[in-house]
Amino acid sequence: MVEKAKIGTMWLGGCSGCHLSIADFHESLLDVMELADFEFSPVLMDTKYDEVPELDVLIVEGGIRNEENRELAEELREKANFVISYGTCAAYGGIPGLGNLHTVEELEKEAYINSPSTPNEEGIIPNEDVPALESRVRPLNEAIDVDLVVPGCPPRSDVVAEAVIALLKGETVELPTTNLCDVCPREKPPEGLAMDVIKRQFEIGKPEDDLCLIPQGLICMGPATISLCGAECPSIAIQCRGCYGPTSKVMDQGAKMISAIASDYGIEEDKTIDPEQVADQLDDIVGTFYTYTLPAALIPAKMQKGGK
Amino acid sequence: MAEDDVKIVMFCCNWCSYGGADTAGTSRMQYPPNIRVIRVMCSGRIEPQFVLKAFREGADGVIVAGCHHGDCHYDAGNYKLDRRMRLVYKLAEDMGIGKERIYHDWISASEGEKFADTVKMMVTRIKELGSAPLKEQLDAEA
Ligand code: FES
Repeated sequence: MVEKAKIGTMWLGGCSGCHLSIADFHESLLDVMELADFEFSPVLMDTKYDEVPELDVLIVEGGIRNEENRELAEELREKANFVISYGTCAAYGGIPGLGNLHTVEELEKEAYINSPSTPNEEGIIPNEDVPALESRVRPLNEAIDVDLVVPGCPPRSDVVAEAVIALLKGETVELPTTNLCDVCPREKPPEGLAMDVIKRQFEIGKPEDDLCLIPQGLICMGPATISLCGAECPSIAIQCRGCYGPTSKVMDQGAKMISAIASDYGIEEDKTIDPEQVADQLDDIVGTFYTYTLPAALIPAKMQKGGK
Repeated sequence: MAEDDVKIVMFCCNWCSYGGADTAGTSRMQYPPNIRVIRVMCSGRIEPQFVLKAFREGADGVIVAGCHHGDCHYDAGNYKLDRRMRLVYKLAEDMGIGKERIYHDWISASEGEKFADTVKMMVTRIKELGSAPLKEQLDAEA
């Protein structure tokens, strides 16, 4: 019998949702197990960080939020032959990345003192036995070299299973280069995208069937998002929030989307519309366009000196 | 900061603003040498990504210039840029860069003087604001 490959999985600054996606492999788990064994996985088994076995493939969920994350990432990198940056937090920082809009002091105060569900009369901020937060959330590849990125929040089980099986068979894995609109079943208006109002989902109720969501007033991140998920959300009338991150041709997902929305907005009255109108309708630019990718953006964190 | 250290990236559309720079040059107008002009075919080609990238690479300010409304060589590129920039200003505020560091305006090929004045105005403004914090902060962390 040929020797089986050794797989390890690890969670860093994430929510373990990506691990559920592994647990959800279903029958493909059998295919994976035929080729490999899970040798190290804090989610599935008891593990000791000082007894990490040599690994052929390491799947890492979560970005780098604190010192411990970085230390473990570096340690495991040495043991692993091939590292997959797994899920949007590892790939782009993910939702925890919105913490980059605040300083570490602000975050700690919010978590330990201001939060109503945390009784802490003396206002103590723990600093012993808990790893210190780094100045900002970073994607995994800013701490260690990664060999493959599989984004998603969480990545679809079938996508991961396919990627892992292909890897174990020695094939190369390639991500699509197209955007979501390319695979979205909704119809784009033939005269091009145009929107004349920006609304939130609850304000429009059920969107019209089969028509692209952007002309209906929803900010759908599809144009700047990689087509890995197969446009699951738009097919059930929910706008894409960009959780799989940008396509390989996009440097900064949020900025690309800002460009798209501002151009499409009022395009029919291009020359008469008040240019300020689109900005007026968007209160939370960062929260809308950078929900998942702020730490990987060109401006990855709020500048603290107030631009001075 | 010292005026010599001010770094400004300026995007100019080929048909008007770049011509404006030419006019300023051929008529020997004086303006500070702190700008790096990048020519694009139309201001409508300028994406927020370009502006952010300039800051990421160490610019202290960014100017975007295009044809006057109605004059765009491709009909309406500058209208789209206009809307885009309003969002970029908001983003710059939210990210602590400050919207004062970014400026967009319309400069025609005959407006050499407006070109020179715009550059002068921005250099003074940035000199007062000091160097942009982004590169500094990221470098310090690395
Ligand atoms: S060509 Fe000058 S703005 Fe379009």
